[in-house]
Amino acid sequence: MLGPVDVLVILLVSIIAGFVGALFGLGGGVLIIPFLTLVEGVPVPLAVGASIVSVVATSSASAATYVQDHLTNLRLGMFLEIGTVAGAITGAFVAVFLPASVLFVLFGLVLLYATIVMIRARGIDFPADVRPDRTSRILALGSQYEDHSLNRVVSYEVTRTPLTVFIGYFAGIVSGLLGVGGGVINVPTMNLVSKVPVKVASATSNFIIGVTAAASASVYLLRGDVHPLLAAPLIIGVAGGALLGTRVLKVTPPTRVKVAFGILLAAMSLLMILKGFNLPVVL
Amino acid sequence: MELNRLVSYSLRIGVLASVLLSLVGLFVWAAGGFDNIVSAAGPGIARALASAFQGNDSGLIYLAIVILIATPVFRVAISSVYFVKKRDGKYVLISLAVLSMLVFALVSGYAG
Repeated sequence: MLGPVDVLVILLVSIIAGFVGALFGLGGGVLIIPFLTLVEGVPVPLAVGASIVSVVATSSASAATYVQDHLTNLRLGMFLEIGTVAGAITGAFVAVFLPASVLFVLFGLVLLYATIVMIRARGIDFPADVRPDRTSRILALGSQYEDHSLNRVVSYEVTRTPLTVFIGYFAGIVSGLLGVGGGVINVPTMNLVSKVPVKVASATSNFIIGVTAAASASVYLLRGDVHPLLAAPLIIGVAGGALLGTRVLKVTPPTRVKVAFGILLAAMSLLMILKGFNLPVVL
Repeated sequence: MELNRLVSYSLRIGVLASVLLSLVGLFVWAAGGFDNIVSAAGPGIARALASAFQGNDSGLIYLAIVILIATPVFRVAISSVYFVKKRDGKYVLISLAVLSMLVFALVSGYAG
């Protein structure tokens, strides 16, 4: 049974989760699930249900700001959603055939590779003279945003779009199957494969994950895995934390975002690999 | 209205409504002496939602959750309408593809 103290503590912790989620384009579920299960003793299905609801809140709250500021690439986001949503549905279908442990190890290794690439290229946000691919030209995906840390307008092109949508499809499968991993795969893919500025990648990922999470959240809700006393403080907390996160991202230099994301990515990939070998890590 | 503002406003209104209802729900729960709330499932959700209008704490929070989940879906729907109005065929197709997959996932329960 949850008392007022639990609710207050959950609210405070979810401010941090919303902050981190908004900053890095992740839902923040990585933080919420272990906290609810380990500290609050919440059963896993209820923790996952609560975490998915909080992903919707983080995504919508941060995207509201990022979209207004043109940091989100709306066109790229909508196009990528085709991949991620299709992936999430596929994930639900193939859950029976695909062992989650294999996926954990596979994606852990891919993310480890992404970590290395990201840390090695930490000095530059994205290369100059990127040539847009055919899809990118047809859909007019190239855009620009005003970077408040650099005090200038940054123009960028999007390249290798089909590959990014393809990886997005697998990111959707992973998040559909494992409950985590959509954002953490999409951000490095946009930045490293499609050469999108890292802050745009984070903002666009935040925009995308809300849609996938909303579909999953409805399933958890009907199943009875969304507890009101967990959801209410989470919604309030992550929405507040997300507002703080969007302010910080705006004024942080891209290269610093990249290094911080690289560190987070390293930790996430190691946890995923350990989890794949059935070691008792909470993710 | 410009698409960015349209999308941003939709998201903002959805989140704000959800946060406010969650807050009211928690206040009602506190005023009622922190009674034990259990989670509802299936048709129980509809009953909980109906009780929100009588000021029931868990009903108010379920209403907040449903509005929150509907927010990104509404955002995709309103973008489709925008692209239809702008006669932007490619993006009408893209947004409708996402919307139809979402509706399929919501109705069939095949998502996560």
